[in-house]
Amino acid sequence: MSRAQTQTPIRVALAGNPNSGKTSLFNALTGGRQHVGNYPGVTVEKRTGLYTLEGQEFEVSDLPGTYSMSSYTPEERVAQDDLLEQDHDVVVVVVDSTTLSRSLVLLVQMLQLDPGRLVLCLNMADEAARSGQQLDLDLLRRLLNIPVVETVGHRGEGIDGLKQAVRQVTIASPEKCKLTLSPALDHAIAAVAEHLTAVDRDHRAWVATKLLLQDPLFVQRMNTARFDRALQEAQRQRVRLEAESGRDVALFVMERYHGFVDGLLRQVTLRAPHRNARLLSDGIDAVLVHRLFGLPFFFAVMYGIFWLTFTVGEYPMGWIEAGFAWLGTHIASLWPPGADSPLRSLLVDGIIAGVGGVVVFLPNILLLFLGLALVEDTGYMARAAFLMDRLMHRFGLHGRSFVPMMVGFGCSVPGIMATRTLEHEHDRLATMLVLPLMSCGARLTIWMLLIPAFFAPAWRASALWAIYATGIVLALALALLLRRTVLSGEDAPFVMELPPYRMPTARAVTTRMMQRSWLYLRKAGTVILAISIVMWFITSYPRTLSAPRSGGATGAAQLEGSIAGHIGKAMDPALRPLGLDWKVGTALIGAFAAKEVFVAQLGIIYAVGHDDGHTLRQQLRRDYSPRAGFALMLFLLIATPCMATLAVTRRESGSWKWALLQLGGLTTLGYVVALVFYQLSRLAV
Amino acid sequence: MPDTTAEIAISAALEDYLETIYGLVRDNKLARVKDIARARGVRSGSVTPAMKRLSELGLIRYVQREYIDLTANGEQLARRVFARHQLLTRFFEEILGMENETAEGDACAMEHSLSPSGMDRLARLFEFLRVCPEGSELLQKFHRCSVVHQKHTTNESCTCANRSALCHLHGQPNIAVADLAAGQRGQVTHINGSGAVRQRMLDMGILPDVIVEVERRAPAGDPIWIKLQGFQLSLRKKEAAAVLVTPV
Repeated sequence: MSRAQTQTPIRVALAGNPNSGKTSLFNALTGGRQHVGNYPGVTVEKRTGLYTLEGQEFEVSDLPGTYSMSSYTPEERVAQDDLLEQDHDVVVVVVDSTTLSRSLVLLVQMLQLDPGRLVLCLNMADEAARSGQQLDLDLLRRLLNIPVVETVGHRGEGIDGLKQAVRQVTIASPEKCKLTLSPALDHAIAAVAEHLTAVDRDHRAWVATKLLLQDPLFVQRMNTARFDRALQEAQRQRVRLEAESGRDVALFVMERYHGFVDGLLRQVTLRAPHRNARLLSDGIDAVLVHRLFGLPFFFAVMYGIFWLTFTVGEYPMGWIEAGFAWLGTHIASLWPPGADSPLRSLLVDGIIAGVGGVVVFLPNILLLFLGLALVEDTGYMARAAFLMDRLMHRFGLHGRSFVPMMVGFGCSVPGIMATRTLEHEHDRLATMLVLPLMSCGARLTIWMLLIPAFFAPAWRASALWAIYATGIVLALALALLLRRTVLSGEDAPFVMELPPYRMPTARAVTTRMMQRSWLYLRKAGTVILAISIVMWFITSYPRTLSAPRSGGATGAAQLEGSIAGHIGKAMDPALRPLGLDWKVGTALIGAFAAKEVFVAQLGIIYAVGHDDGHTLRQQLRRDYSPRAGFALMLFLLIATPCMATLAVTRRESGSWKWALLQLGGLTTLGYVVALVFYQLSRLAV
Repeated sequence: MPDTTAEIAISAALEDYLETIYGLVRDNKLARVKDIARARGVRSGSVTPAMKRLSELGLIRYVQREYIDLTANGEQLARRVFARHQLLTRFFEEILGMENETAEGDACAMEHSLSPSGMDRLARLFEFLRVCPEGSELLQKFHRCSVVHQKHTTNESCTCANRSALCHLHGQPNIAVADLAAGQRGQVTHINGSGAVRQRMLDMGILPDVIVEVERRAPAGDPIWIKLQGFQLSLRKKEAAAVLVTPV
């Protein structure tokens, strides 16, 4: 038998605080061999990867970053459940060496939770050394009885040592360190644990502690007759502890954790940090987060990312468009000219045009994620959130929601993907759902057609401004509404760490950028491909003319007779109150595929080339009043996010429920706003 | 029973005068009004009415104009007041480990208001702690115990976590972190609030006795940016309002 057949990979989990450098450590461990997905049902990223050491495979999962093993955020719940249920062979606890007094608390919780063999990884050892901190690592190893290694994750230093330590600990597993927190607490935990015979022996102490703490998740899960006695005992012990200590049990337990860490650190510290390693970082903050200059600088950074995404990105976008056009022409030329082949039409007009329409955004997405990765990896993102939180919080959002919403002015798709930088599910969902209201770049092509058609030159700028402003106001109002209704609940804490500025490494930035872009291509791509084919079908069938398509007139007739045309006509009664008719309705179906398609569809219906904006505008002016024109703009702004947006919302929210709520909610709102505007403006004039 | 003076209830201010006169008489045989005024830190004019009242009570007598001596009753009462003062000062200094100046001040404030039986019990406790072997051992333990020290990190030999009495005592000068000015530091006494926000603050190391410093505020004044234990956090004003500190 070969080795590969006999060996199953050793399962390793990385646990640690956010900002502890866990992800760069993960990247350094696994190199390119990783897979990024989502934990089922939540918007928490799940990364796994592989590495091989001396013929043995190791499967590493990067748990979500958490400050502690409480159960308040989805990240904490996911990490905790993973550790309790997944039976990892080794758990590496990654801590930031510069904040040991806080970050070692997670290690204490790990000792208590006992998810398997532990390895302590003191990351950012270089920064700690620069601050003058010196630890007796041998003593630390002896006291904790687990391997302890120092690493500098982003430079890949100490990775070999970490790999060796992980391998060693699977071979020779040392005695578990006996955790004593305080006589009173240990006794209380033991008393509750006695009634937890139904729980895995290793996890009893942890579950007992959670019951003492009245952790809502555990209390709810264990609210069965089987655990009645445990719950009662926990209640009794809690009352006793609180009476004896004179403080509530959450505080008492946390103080005991900190007491353990402080005691440990006092023993192993040879030299305490005495130089301020943050001097430079604090100096930078004095300028970048200045009360006066902070905001201008932030807007400059946002503008920079915008410029990078949409101006620099335009060039490769053009190449990709040209590439797909070339591909389409070449495939089309496989058929004899003039032949009406459904297959050719499906390939060229359906698949290539549809997928091309998605892939064309790839450069934007790559560049945007490059910008965001830089902002995140340097530590500026936390500062941006600090600066913007006051404004965003008024609308039930988080300071960090601002960045995705700004990105949404370029394109909703990367904007929605940028919501990944939000820690909390409700913030993330609220931001995601209202994001299509930020008038995107594709809609700008529509405004460029419609505004000159309906408004005198003097009013054009105001009309454009009004559209953007309406979008922003509605987005914020809707976010507030969502947070008050469907996404109600306690505000996520803004208690946020502000790590020192760090120089991002090319490797970390590119990994982050490529992973997210690949997710976009793969997942959004498959859904969009399916919708593209449907869109193609309903605009091409049934065939009304067997004659080859030669001019605008036949194209218009074909579209009018197609399923889309019929749907457009069916919408006619609904559009009348807005001062519109079926022609717009048919074009709106195109806008669902991609907003800019609206212009092209309208061109086909009016049987003019879509590049002939001037004629088209005249036709529009003839058919619709300016009020109806503005109602149409409002409808296009608010209603029906494009299918790429829906697909990516589905992907990022993890369920169709939210995507459909977005579609239904925004379409209803768009219709109502357009209707109210049109009807009121008729009364007013 | 010669102890009739114990029946005479005189005001705290008069007790203080009597004590001052006792000290002056002991050192200089006689007390001058000018010296009394200087020792009490008041003007001579305000001393005279008090002297008149003391002399009416038969506790002092004028030897000459301006020169005052204690009567036998006066001396007895003065000695008792003085002894109480001494005991309290020593108690604060030797048992509670306070600085001499604060101990003196507190003794002055307390000596008049303690009931004779309260004073008696305190004296017995003092004797027990100073003289009995078990007592002095206990006293040593008490001084080593972390409870006495401000930081819970200074000593681990004591496992008593009960600092409720201290917490309540320190409850007086508390202000919220949100109310500290930029650059101001405070020592955490309470973390109010509940649920995820409170848990997150505890997780982040915002615990009693930890020193926090407000570094800056966001342009609109909210959120605020704080430093503690070598790292930096931001919290909303509303969240920071739940953390009470004593400015240091």
